Amino acid sequence: MAEYAAKKLAQMLVTVLGVVTLVFFTLRLIPGDAASAMAGDTLSGEALQALRQQMGLDEPLVQQYLGFLRNLAMVDLGETITTRIPIAELLLRALPITLSIALATIVVSVVLSIPLGTLAAYMAHKGRNWLDNGLTGAAMIIDLMPSFWTALVLLLVFSLGLGWFPASGQLNWSDPWALVLRLALPVIVLSLSQVATLARITRTAVLEVLNEDYVRTARSLGWSELRVLFRHALKNAALPIATVVGLSFGNLLGGTVIVEFIFTIPGVGNLLIAGINSRDYQLVQTLIVLYALLFVVINFATDLIYKTLDPRVQF
Amino acid sequence: MADIMLPTASARTAGFPAAVSAILHQRLLSHGKVRLALLILIPILALTILAPVLPIQKPLETNLRAMMQFPSLEHLFGTDKMGRDIFSRTLAGVQVSLMVGFSVAAIALAFGMVLGTLAGFYGGVIDRIIMTVVDIFLAFPSLLLAIGLVSVMGTGLVPVILAISLADVPRFIRLQRSQVLALRSRAFIDAARTVDASQYWLMTRHIVPNTIAAMLVAASIAAANAILVEASLSFLGLGIMPPQPSLGNIVRDGQTYLEQAWWISTLPGVVILLIAVGLHFLSDGVRELLDPRSR
Repeated sequence: MAEYAAKKLAQMLVTVLGVVTLVFFTLRLIPGDAASAMAGDTLSGEALQALRQQMGLDEPLVQQYLGFLRNLAMVDLGETITTRIPIAELLLRALPITLSIALATIVVSVVLSIPLGTLAAYMAHKGRNWLDNGLTGAAMIIDLMPSFWTALVLLLVFSLGLGWFPASGQLNWSDPWALVLRLALPVIVLSLSQVATLARITRTAVLEVLNEDYVRTARSLGWSELRVLFRHALKNAALPIATVVGLSFGNLLGGTVIVEFIFTIPGVGNLLIAGINSRDYQLVQTLIVLYALLFVVINFATDLIYKTLDPRVQF
Repeated sequence: MADIMLPTASARTAGFPAAVSAILHQRLLSHGKVRLALLILIPILALTILAPVLPIQKPLETNLRAMMQFPSLEHLFGTDKMGRDIFSRTLAGVQVSLMVGFSVAAIALAFGMVLGTLAGFYGGVIDRIIMTVVDIFLAFPSLLLAIGLVSVMGTGLVPVILAISLADVPRFIRLQRSQVLALRSRAFIDAARTVDASQYWLMTRHIVPNTIAAMLVAASIAAANAILVEASLSFLGLGIMPPQPSLGNIVRDGQTYLEQAWWISTLPGVVILLIAVGLHFLSDGVRELLDPRSR
């Protein structure tokens, strides 16, 4: 196990180094350079040169690259170019918001999709295909709805129409109920497509297990259907489900950018869009690296959890 | 030797057109999902092509006497705050969507086929180099990779197509590689080797034709996905920029007037959904036809 983990860790570090290198050099491909792209026509001559110096663009490329690596390794994220605020400070405020939305989405979607997927599998197993087809078809369509569109439709109906949820406003961490109401729609929007994906995976996994011999044996022992489903079928289907939860985390991160933008939530996604709009490449490169790191680490953890939980996997 | 006896053996050694069309020919149009897909996609395609000659306002034409109008026979999807016809703008947006979907699928297919085949067939150093780069690209969530690339390459149709393709190519390489790895050890490849087939012959005549079906299925899903990503980018203001309409930026335009004119944002979104559903039914149907196990 330790050997496997070490090998995976080494692989992950290579990937991370590749990610960082790719981001660094991609940003150097900007026509002209980052400083002139940022300044547009507003700066000329000396002022532009000063900006270049501030951004470290006057140093040789290799030195810039090594400096970038050293700063990342020491978690020195630098400051935004436009407003000169330390990026770490911005992240300290934005990251908890984005992570809470992501976490809440994972909890909600797991809680909803496992019963739905199990139900669909059970119905298919019993030959009641109309319900299975209905659930599977609905899952496919929900999965394909563009999340920004779903968000606007829900906003239109539940915020502007029925007035159940606030459409904007400050995040108030001291009032939990207000916070729940404020974050409810974004979490629902993100959960919809997660539920669709997870329910389909659950259905396939459970259906497969329901056809196994040991489930037939459990039935022949006279155990109730519910006990067979939960004790045997779901327990064995849990691993593929957990894996997909990990893998779908990347889509979820992309989704947070969109819902934060629509519901004006001051998370990492809005920070990213603001960074792109003000051409603050220091901020953009840090955030893109951060997203990739989050995704890589979650995948690594999923992989290890899978190997630890499944006694059938050999090392 | 068992697989040489299968009824599809003739398709297996033949070139590209025969391999796919032999199986599809008789059943394609009678397959339920394919029919449903065509029922959705053909009218959209026809309207998009016919848009210039339809009796509707031009997509960029403003009409200050018909602002924010509710959908009617004259303006099927209503009008926006400048009196532009949303239906006409939506059709122009669909044109952009289809271009993006088709281009991304074609680019991903081409690069995925070539690099994936090389990695899977030759293995060794070539495989390791290609797959290391693939793994690095796959470390980015795909929408975020597209956002990052667009922030560097700028907005507009070509950068958007390139950004989405760059996020998709690694997935196609991986799929193609795994297919080639599975095929490499099959009996009919050994059979071809015994008669001294060259590496090039093996790849182009025996391996690649057998991978095309799955790649086409993946390509139609990638097209649907690319359409959704383009719409998301344009919605965020990072894709196709106004005044040129795209489904994403029409929805973005309408966001401000959600309360007064809900149709601006919601109706083009329905069209995006219809295209995505159509493409998925198409790929599902084609996959079921091509996969002998699901028949």
